[in-house]
Amino acid sequence: MIQTGIPLQAPLCPDARQDRPAPILRLSGLAKSFGPVAAVKPLTLTVGRHEVIGLIGENGAGKSTLLKLLTGVHQPDAGTFELNGRQVRLKGPQDATEHGLGIVHQEQSLFTNLSVAENIVMGAGRKGSASTRGGLYRWRALHREAAEVLARIGSTVSPATIVGDLGFAERQMVEIARTIHVACRTAERQGGAPLVILDEPTSVLEEAETAVLEHEIARLRAIGSVIFVSHRLEEVLRICTRIVVMRHGELVADRPVEGVTEADLFRMMIGKDRHARTREAVPPMTAAPVLRAEGLTRTGAFRDIRLDLHPGRITAIVGTFGAGREALVRALFGAEPLDGGRLEVAGRAVAQWSPRLAIRAGLAYLPAERGVESAVGGLSAARNLTMVPQDRGWLLSPAGRRALAEEWFSRLDIRPNLPGQDLARFSGGNQQKVVLAKWLRLKPRVLILDHPLRGLDPGAGATVNACIRAAAAEGAGVLLLADTLEEALDLGHEILVMRDGEISARFDRTTDDPTTLDLLEKMV
Amino acid sequence: MKLLSRPDELRQAFGPPAIFAILLGLIAVAVPEFLGGGGPAIIAQQATPILLVALGQCVVLCIGSIDLSNAAIALFASILAALTLGPLGAAAPVFCLIVVTLIGVANGLVLVYTQIPSFALTLGTLGVMQAASLVVTGSNVVYVMDNMDVVGWLFTVQFLTLPVAFWIAVVLAAALWAFLRFTVPGQGVMAIGFNERAAGLSGQPVNALKVLAFGLSGFFAGLAGLCVISISGAASSIGLGSDLLVPSIAAALVGGTAITGGVCNPLNVVFGAMFVALIPVGSAAVGVNPQAQSIVYGVVLIVAVAATMSRARHGIVK
Amino acid sequence: MTSLSGTGSGRAARRRGLAARAGVAELAILLALVAIFSMLNPHAFPTLTNLNTILNNAAIPIVIGVGASLVVLTGRIDLSVEGVMGAAGMAFVLLSANSRETADIGWLAYPAALAVGAGLGAATGAIHALAKVPSFIVSLGMWYVGLGIAAVLFGYEMIPFLGNEAAVAWPTATPLGLPNSFVLALVVVGLGWLIERYTRLGRYAYAIGNNETVARMTGIPVAGFVVAIFAFAGACSALAGVMGSLALGAGSATVGVGMLFLTLAAIVIGGTPLGGGRGGALRTVTGVLILSTLYNGLILVGVDPSIQSGVSGIVLVAAVIAAGWSQRARLRVFK
Repeated sequence: MIQTGIPLQAPLCPDARQDRPAPILRLSGLAKSFGPVAAVKPLTLTVGRHEVIGLIGENGAGKSTLLKLLTGVHQPDAGTFELNGRQVRLKGPQDATEHGLGIVHQEQSLFTNLSVAENIVMGAGRKGSASTRGGLYRWRALHREAAEVLARIGSTVSPATIVGDLGFAERQMVEIARTIHVACRTAERQGGAPLVILDEPTSVLEEAETAVLEHEIARLRAIGSVIFVSHRLEEVLRICTRIVVMRHGELVADRPVEGVTEADLFRMMIGKDRHARTREAVPPMTAAPVLRAEGLTRTGAFRDIRLDLHPGRITAIVGTFGAGREALVRALFGAEPLDGGRLEVAGRAVAQWSPRLAIRAGLAYLPAERGVESAVGGLSAARNLTMVPQDRGWLLSPAGRRALAEEWFSRLDIRPNLPGQDLARFSGGNQQKVVLAKWLRLKPRVLILDHPLRGLDPGAGATVNACIRAAAAEGAGVLLLADTLEEALDLGHEILVMRDGEISARFDRTTDDPTTLDLLEKMV
Repeated sequence: MKLLSRPDELRQAFGPPAIFAILLGLIAVAVPEFLGGGGPAIIAQQATPILLVALGQCVVLCIGSIDLSNAAIALFASILAALTLGPLGAAAPVFCLIVVTLIGVANGLVLVYTQIPSFALTLGTLGVMQAASLVVTGSNVVYVMDNMDVVGWLFTVQFLTLPVAFWIAVVLAAALWAFLRFTVPGQGVMAIGFNERAAGLSGQPVNALKVLAFGLSGFFAGLAGLCVISISGAASSIGLGSDLLVPSIAAALVGGTAITGGVCNPLNVVFGAMFVALIPVGSAAVGVNPQAQSIVYGVVLIVAVAATMSRARHGIVK
Repeated sequence: MTSLSGTGSGRAARRRGLAARAGVAELAILLALVAIFSMLNPHAFPTLTNLNTILNNAAIPIVIGVGASLVVLTGRIDLSVEGVMGAAGMAFVLLSANSRETADIGWLAYPAALAVGAGLGAATGAIHALAKVPSFIVSLGMWYVGLGIAAVLFGYEMIPFLGNEAAVAWPTATPLGLPNSFVLALVVVGLGWLIERYTRLGRYAYAIGNNETVARMTGIPVAGFVVAIFAFAGACSALAGVMGSLALGAGSATVGVGMLFLTLAAIVIGGTPLGGGRGGALRTVTGVLILSTLYNGLILVGVDPSIQSGVSGIVLVAAVIAAGWSQRARLRVFK
């Protein structure tokens, strides 16, 4: 355990003065699996007082699962979990806060129609606060109570302001205040200190706002400890006192920040830096791209995107969460509007665009959120497979559907081999194969895949990857949003890196041989 | 293939006929003379308008919306028919059906263009239709003076002891069933009900199909209105057919239609409608005050929707 | 999830927000209607008698609206108002001195009627919250249940006329310069405002309507509050049923006819969107006054009174469209 030993002026929680440094959080052997996938392998972590811990890791390294374990959204399969010296079993985020562990998400959870004071006091738990006891609101006491909490973290927001009128950074302060309000009270009562988790707090902040947040974190550190989750490594190095790195569900590094460089962090996140696994021949670029985009822009999501998809080639886009690649591929398919730019499919400029028109023009799109956007549970697998309308009249042909379903069930090894069964009753991997077959049978010109391997076991993943390669070999231009950098390197013939809505690097495998580290450096 | 291997599939397929059979059995025991006399014909006659309105409703429920206006549209159609049968003769039913189908289509167009909740929109349409009925009739009863024979045969001609209109409604239910199962737009309607976003991203013409559903709802309401005029020979804003809304929704729900969308079997709605039509007889048989009928309708509606709500879908219900 | 209004929400945006919260636009509509009808009909419209007529007509929908807007604030809807009015109104008449001489429990008839309404409302809320059935369909069923109860109470006998002449004359009397019914409505509005402003019940209604997911995460017992709110709405409808019966001087199962459209339209046009989270009882008063003025003015101009439900329907749809216009988007799921 690392104690920073920085002298504190005027600690704000009385308890912080105690010099007996009991750890706030102690995890030992905490583990969580989803089916066969181990999301968090047995992990041990201790958080002392007055620490700011930077938790970093690639997408899918297990950070978010760890956070969900910490806040009681998921229950651990094994291991012990101690808060301020007591073993706990948390029932959910609210319960966690009442135990002195608060989390502030990037997606804010405030009531935008209520005042700052109400939001802060609303989180006071089942017992409520003194100013709303008996179900009656004493507004003056309520404002005073909130003002005290706000003063504690040095915020100047007025308690009477409606949250909807605040800017994003100010709302974040309110969230922190709300969390602190309860967490600090509990921690004080139990003779401990609060722990606040900030999940990607800076990704939507402007620079000046980030400075305010840093000030805030310094204040929080005087009260308790902070776990700071971020993709922005230079901030992690500047703000944190200690770095914890996760990779493939394991805690691979836990060390003080002193002497660590950004390059070290990259290496720790990636593990062994590597090139693409295979060095197969990259298909040549034919003269005409099947899809050409120029200057594509959508305010707040991406801007000035140039993109050419060639038949037979797989283009992978990598980027952190929020880099805008999801919005980009949805706009290419017509599922979201475009604010500007030029889009050409097979040499023809696109004026009006919608999923229906895109499908007619030969595009196919496999959404990331299978349950919400691609698999129609309630309809049979065979009906899902044949659902995309074709210009073959109004009548369905049960015999044709059966034949087609049988063909694709055997081609993709979909199990159980019951095409008439409700799709919702298939496993995730087999659902994904059915959805993929729905598009592949149309022989699309352009195949857009948004995280095609999400939630699949390795076997199903290999089949899906083989399908993607086969579709490219048959002449489709493939656009892939991969889950991991390795996946992008292994599948992509061309790799684009997106950062903050722009393409920050392009690697063509005919000439370049990028490593995972090269990609990561351009991402963050 | 083990298609009916799960209890909920069994319930969906055989629940409605079973519920109807149970009620019928109870009545047969309590009031044996009911089945022997003209009882079945009367029930079939009362079930027909309910069934027709419910068929339209079940298509709208299938896309996950609801049409609170179609019963009022049915009443408006009967008023329109009463007014036009004299001057237009055999063309009057066609005219009425076209008008009310267009009203349904207008509902659908406003819905997809403004994206407001369907219950709010159709509640508004309900108000407009009520007002239209009052204004068109001048708040009086409109009697059919001429050409009653254009629609009269629907309930005077009988087939297998039941009115021919009932059989026509059953055939229409079968046609609707086939439409949903065996046609491209029908499958699209079901897909929208199960998963609207996935349907849209698979290229289903979601907006057009929603307009189609509301158009069908208007059309079936028009048929129900013609039945009302055929039965009574007169129409008014408070007369026969003014109370079809809750019975028809109850019929659709007892018929196994899920209010969450996707699940819809028009053939079972036939049993739902007959069940609802039996309620007055059944409640009289067990000694319920006839004036308590609307309590029974309301309770059946609530129980049917609570029993058919898919528990699989979690989340917030408002 | 929370909508982001950007990081730099300027002073102008804040001012717009304040204006919207205060309901300036709705008041402007009301004043404009008054001005227009005064010009169209300078002899009959802008008179004290007509003002009292408008206010007296507005009293019942305002009382219903106080409860119903609390329900709408949570994002739910209560379609049962006409049924609850009928059931509670009939219960009130039969428990008061009346021509059928059923039972006379004196002033206790008032709380008894309110209890009938609160019970029906609580039943709606409980079925909705516990069985997870959409509120519009439960309350649609409850509408019929209420009408059925009223019909059973009405029975086959003669119309029960109220015996207490003073009580019957009370609503339209104007000892305070305004009709008593309207004064009573204002008292109920004040009560509603106090609930919305100073009690956990009201504040949580706003919170639930704004973001129910967060409300659950925050540990608010949503189901319990929803049941309580429906019960309160039922009691408001019941009071409206009593007022309607007093106005008729007799019991009737259809005492509430037409009130559902009027109230819903008034709520939405007043500035409480069906999605919930904004608005409240005070805003609904403006909405009811707009609609009452509109009907009154139209009838004085010579329009057929039977179009009232049509006007309500159009206003309802127009107000819902206006409130939701900015949220339209491609691939948005709307039911």
